[in-house]
Amino acid sequence: MRKAIRTILEFGIYIAIIAGIVWGVPNFLSWKLQTKYPIAAITSGSMWPVLQTGDLVLIQNVPKNELQIGDVVVWKNTNGFTIHRIVKLNELTLVTKGDANFSEDVPVSYDDVIGKNLMWGKKPVRLPYLGYISIWGAHIKQVYAEK
Amino acid sequence: MFTRILEKVAGRPVSVLEKSITIVLIVIFLFAFYLALDANKYSAQVVVIEGEGKVGVNPTDESLDFGDMSPGTTAVRRISLQNGTAIPVYVAVFRLGSINDLMKLDKNFFTLKGNESTKLEFTTYMPASAPVGDTLSGRVFIFKIPGPWSGSKTTQ
Repeated sequence: MRKAIRTILEFGIYIAIIAGIVWGVPNFLSWKLQTKYPIAAITSGSMWPVLQTGDLVLIQNVPKNELQIGDVVVWKNTNGFTIHRIVKLNELTLVTKGDANFSEDVPVSYDDVIGKNLMWGKKPVRLPYLGYISIWGAHIKQVYAEK
Repeated sequence: MFTRILEKVAGRPVSVLEKSITIVLIVIFLFAFYLALDANKYSAQVVVIEGEGKVGVNPTDESLDFGDMSPGTTAVRRISLQNGTAIPVYVAVFRLGSINDLMKLDKNFFTLKGNESTKLEFTTYMPASAPVGDTLSGRVFIFKIPGPWSGSKTTQ
């Protein structure tokens, strides 16, 4: 009887730790990086080789006056989010371009900028392959939605 | 004799279950060894050159050499696969190396029926950020697993 209770308790603690990590880590990152969207998965090769498909990147909030040309920023568009590098800063808008692209993106309002890629020295923080979890999840969701 | 060898290695008598497990593991190992030996293996490489719209061709069929490519260009190489047996084979292509980021494959993880052939198309696109002067390389392994497969959905 004592052994059964101990097993149940250990299992419960294990589940609580997993739930704590799954719920706690995004919330902690959101608080620490001061943004609603602290994590993003790279879904295309438009920033190759700096950021590659399947990478998981961390996004931190950045005030408009701290944005600089060369920063890798995340901005909202009609299809989701875009993660590209700033090439021009205008009064009301900024212009970005993917490193691997030849053409610049359409100008974006500063209000649509979610934040910028968290940096480690001069390199962006990226977690290779972890972004595939989100990519596969979105793909499975789309497949079921179409059915 | 097999039992004697097993008992010598184990240093004790072995049960029927242990012998069966050992035989299954040996068969699996031999099958994996055969698959590895039978797999088509290619080296892949491309050299990034300066300029616009420039592609230099290396017409070799022993490797996936995309030659010299300047940013903005695309090159295609094809590999013919033939199943000369009556047994369907499941084709699985694995790619390694820096060139893998830029090289797309038109189909993967599919069944090639007996006495059928197909072509695999590898397309490499050189983006604007490709480092001029660098050579991007890698390896491509095409595994063909025989079995009672029926036609399956292809993925890229």
